[in-house]
Amino acid sequence: MNYESECDYMLQDLRVNSENAARPAQLSNLTRRQLKELEEKEKTPAQKLKETVVMLLPLLCGCAALLEYLILPNNSRNSRPWSYVWALGAAMCAYLLCLLLSLLKKRKGEKRLYGKLHYKAPHFSALFLFLALYDYLTLKTGILTQPFVPCMNYIINAFLADYKLLADCTLNTLKLLFLGYFTGVSLGLITGIACGYSNRARYWLDPIIKFLGPIPTSTWIPIIMVVASSLFGGAVFIIALGSWFAVTVASLTGISNVGKEYFEAARTLGATNRQLVFRVAIPHAMPSILQGCTQAMSSSCVAIMIAEMLGVKSGLGWYMTWQTGWASYDKSFAALFVICLIFTLVTNGLERIKRYLLRWQNGADNNV
Amino acid sequence: MSEEKNNVRLKIENVSKVFAKVESDQVTHALHDVSVEMSGGEFVSLVGPSGCGKSTILRLVAGLIPPTLGRVTVSGEEISGPSPSRGLVFQNPTLFPWLTAEKNISFSLDLRGDDRGKAEKVEHMLEITGLEQFRHDYPAQLSGGMAQRVALVRTLINEPEILLLDEPLGALDEFTRMSMQDEILNIWMQKKQLALMVTHSIDEAVYMGTRVLVMEANPGRIVADIRIDGDFPRDRSSASFVEYRNEILNRLHFGGKRR
Repeated sequence: MNYESECDYMLQDLRVNSENAARPAQLSNLTRRQLKELEEKEKTPAQKLKETVVMLLPLLCGCAALLEYLILPNNSRNSRPWSYVWALGAAMCAYLLCLLLSLLKKRKGEKRLYGKLHYKAPHFSALFLFLALYDYLTLKTGILTQPFVPCMNYIINAFLADYKLLADCTLNTLKLLFLGYFTGVSLGLITGIACGYSNRARYWLDPIIKFLGPIPTSTWIPIIMVVASSLFGGAVFIIALGSWFAVTVASLTGISNVGKEYFEAARTLGATNRQLVFRVAIPHAMPSILQGCTQAMSSSCVAIMIAEMLGVKSGLGWYMTWQTGWASYDKSFAALFVICLIFTLVTNGLERIKRYLLRWQNGADNNV
Repeated sequence: MSEEKNNVRLKIENVSKVFAKVESDQVTHALHDVSVEMSGGEFVSLVGPSGCGKSTILRLVAGLIPPTLGRVTVSGEEISGPSPSRGLVFQNPTLFPWLTAEKNISFSLDLRGDDRGKAEKVEHMLEITGLEQFRHDYPAQLSGGMAQRVALVRTLINEPEILLLDEPLGALDEFTRMSMQDEILNIWMQKKQLALMVTHSIDEAVYMGTRVLVMEANPGRIVADIRIDGDFPRDRSSASFVEYRNEILNRLHFGGKRR
């Protein structure tokens, strides 16, 4: 949606003379998109040219990165040099496809994808330039020493060579992450909601929360190593503990902040005590609860990496330390990218769920 | 059905309400030995300075708080807690922001799991508000007047025998306010509930009420019970209207004839 804020739709006189002019009578059943198109200024040739350049810039930058890789002489040995070329080519092709698709859609009057691409194009261009720069610093000049900071081609080759083990490790990490996370979140919801609503529950649980909560999760690891029967179970415990605390505090605060007037309104409408909790307190505290869930996810991500690097014998964290131990820095870097990717995906997914559940918070811009 | 509603009798007998102050060990006397009776078909306006206990009376009748001394009864039965048959509309619409206008209106029916005739009832309520096209909008998207209309019918869907209005129009602009005065009167005239409204506006009290209770603070008590005659809709500039206004102003010591 951000790209829309970028474009400044200035109010101007309705264009009456152009072919698709709307007469005042036609304004009655106008959609939001049509309105924006109607109020949009005609672009000057200079603006049009600039737009075209921006849209093509990622391809140009991609070509620059390719040329840099192919033409400049290497500083160190480079085996199987074509993987990086293929990867760059694939990225450029993907962009080209998106561009063509967006142009096709734009013709049909569907401007969303085009706008999004236009907004993102500078980012993509910068990414290609960054790749070129990174290649220059590593493979071409050795300013960043090989093989400690491996060049992109090495990393891609490492990924291709070891993708089966990487996939396996990813699966293990995700399993551990979600098991711990959901255990923690469900327990956190129960304690948080109980404490937020019942004074007695709060009396007994508050000291526990205050005592256990502030301890950083990594502190537990040495103890868990000794005490827990299985390292997997121990890791689940650590991850769950972190998310439990975050969600408990968030839902407790959320529920205590529900205005008295909402409870009163619900009571005069015939709500029972149970309904006050489930129909008023929880929905009202939802923004805060979901905030807690997001926070719990980031604390879980930290906890799982520490747990895997220190003890658990599987997963991406373990893979990274293990490969670093064998001086396979290219494989460590490959794992790092996978970690980045899955955490981004998980966080994004959570954000989407949050936005869906909290759609009532948006103002007039909401289309149900 | 409307005959039945005409028969509802609200009795407030020697009620005192004392609130504990939060910080100190002192108490506030919100109401002192108040007795008043009213019945179905009446539209009673409560006016008076702030702190005179107007809202306290509404909250006692709603069953949100118990009296310290005395009894509040509805048709002979003592009030023990809130009930949908005594609907309360607040100054702030207090719509549930996570529910659409339609779902806010059907909130009480949904609580009871009462699906019989739900769709028609909700439809009818939407029709009263004239907000059919906003049914899927969330409260954040509604204007103040629209939100207050939804809050009003959210209460009316229970067909309350007593309609409690706690400054329902206080937060609205003058034009919305005047048109909603007429809307509320229309609703009341169809069902002839007992309506009990707190207001800060004497004009509104006289325009809408069949009876005005004038209250004073420290301790909160009723100092005058004025019957307002005259057919609806009333003429705000008529001689009798001005007469009533002046009488109430005098009672509150704001009139021209200060002693």
